[in-house]
Amino acid sequence: MNQNFYQPIAGEITDIIDESSTIKSFVVVPEKEFAFKTGQFVELTLPGEGEAPFTPSSSPADTKKMEITIMKAGRVTALFHQCKKGQKVGIRGPYGNGYPIEDFVNKEVYIVGGGVGLAPIRSLFLTLVDRVKDLKCVVCRFGARTPDDFIYKKTLFGPWQKIDGVKIKLSVDKSDGKWTGNVGVVTTILSKDDVNIENAVAVVCGPPIMMKFATVKLLDFGFSAERIYLSMEKNMSCGVGKCGHCMIGKYYVCKDGPVFTYDQIKGYPNIWD
Amino acid sequence: MEAVFISSLKPFLDAVAGEMDIYVPKKSGQHFVYTRFDSSADTAAEFNNIRACTPVKEFLLPLRELAAIFPEPFDPNDIKPFAVFGLKDCDLRSIEILDKVFLEEEFRDPLYVARRQKMFIISSDCFDPGESCFCNVIDGKSFPESGFDLNVSQVKDGFIIEAGSQRGKDFIKKHDELFTDVPAASLSEHDKNRVHTQKQLEQQNADLKFDTPIKELLESGHDSEVFDVEAKSCIECQACTRVCPTCHCFYLYDTKQKDYFSKMKMWDSCMRLSYAAVAGGANPRKVLGDRLRHRLMHKFAYFLDRYGLQMCIGCGRCVDADAGGIDIRAILKKLNEEIKNKSKAKVAK
Repeated sequence: MNQNFYQPIAGEITDIIDESSTIKSFVVVPEKEFAFKTGQFVELTLPGEGEAPFTPSSSPADTKKMEITIMKAGRVTALFHQCKKGQKVGIRGPYGNGYPIEDFVNKEVYIVGGGVGLAPIRSLFLTLVDRVKDLKCVVCRFGARTPDDFIYKKTLFGPWQKIDGVKIKLSVDKSDGKWTGNVGVVTTILSKDDVNIENAVAVVCGPPIMMKFATVKLLDFGFSAERIYLSMEKNMSCGVGKCGHCMIGKYYVCKDGPVFTYDQIKGYPNIWD
Repeated sequence: MEAVFISSLKPFLDAVAGEMDIYVPKKSGQHFVYTRFDSSADTAAEFNNIRACTPVKEFLLPLRELAAIFPEPFDPNDIKPFAVFGLKDCDLRSIEILDKVFLEEEFRDPLYVARRQKMFIISSDCFDPGESCFCNVIDGKSFPESGFDLNVSQVKDGFIIEAGSQRGKDFIKKHDELFTDVPAASLSEHDKNRVHTQKQLEQQNADLKFDTPIKELLESGHDSEVFDVEAKSCIECQACTRVCPTCHCFYLYDTKQKDYFSKMKMWDSCMRLSYAAVAGGANPRKVLGDRLRHRLMHKFAYFLDRYGLQMCIGCGRCVDADAGGIDIRAILKKLNEEIKNKSKAKVAK
């Protein structure tokens, strides 16, 4: 059958959550059940306006609806920010590989996230929490510019920190005066003793500059390049490894990624730009 | 060889046109461009001695096409059969390259599949390679050996037509009355012509020899200054990627119509500044030399790693079209010089 993967399925925005001054989460209900793996992404269309790639921030266990967290960064994301409940959208996907959860079994999972990079991490986190018994532990180090810039505050500042097998530490670049945690970029709260590196995997997602310095630090700690999983943000248009925009060397980020080990991509130029 | 003979092109093209639209090369200035063949017109059909100026991808990936309609889908298979006459071996190899991308098992591009299945390919021998042609350096030939439905070779007294597929055989059978057996003299003339053109290519590209496979030239020279130096004359017109039959980058954009929304697919170019930029502002190839390097790495290394063949056919269209005078052959030569100097330096140490 000649199926048209350029054709989106219909969906509707049923709820909108303000996360920070520049970030909102949208609850999207697709017209039919929509299964995805954590870390995979969708192309979300605002009909007649444009399309952009987003990794759902919700758990893949819910196939009836998904949450998509969007930072106002360009033309299409600004238009999404103007949307109201009831807005019809188009959804293509899911695309890409997602996180290799099975490789994390019996390991300590060390998650480093920053800014809106917490969106894919939230989906991963919820997936890991469901299987926390299969893991040694989940250790999170998250950063944001200011306390207000943290997304998912309601869960992040409270319930998530109380989950057995989960340890979370937060840092902000700039305090608001009331912040009692660490002040500094997220790499300042990474420590060699956070996890048993011999039996750990690291997952990094955030702004390119943070991913670069976090990776350098993780390598310094002794993480092997094969055990550092990076969620690469590139210009992904078609989603199916053809249009070319997202290439890192021979890889199409949309099809072969967006999750890569550092080992896979370290030899190619300008990966952090 | 299963072949037949016809003394003039017109009845043959008329027969094809009786079954489907057929596009034929037409001389425009110094070059050939494609135009729809009109059986009723009283003009002589032209045989192009060299590839057309425009790339064959135009027939399979139009410059701009409808990709999806929202909310009611459209049927991408609604394409009428069509034929293209006069494609050369380089063109056929460009189709082979596009097939790798758009027919790959996991994600077969429905728009490409529909056109590819409906396309009747009538290739022909090349007799007059251009100054920029270097297909022989990239494992190409002046005449097609596969990838066509029918192939036409011009000889003094007419044309030899060879079937390369079941569809081609069926066509010849159906129009049996048009053709005669190939005269023995024509057959030997045809063989001589092929040898002659291939030799001509080898002579004109005699100095385009490399000490290592082209992939290694590129990989070894990945940090070479040659890309920045060559890119200095680039005016970012993107003509190189537009005329390239193997460049296939595209972008999707959405439009509003009167009572529906549509998603369009349009050619793009990796030489464009914001090509790989993301909304947040990051751009891995802000520098023009980096874009030129990426384009060549894609052609000779990345594509080869991924699909097992190079994404260049040596047709020279990019050389002809480049307003800034950038010549892919010259870049490869310079990289070859650099690799030679590197190994000399090693020996000296």
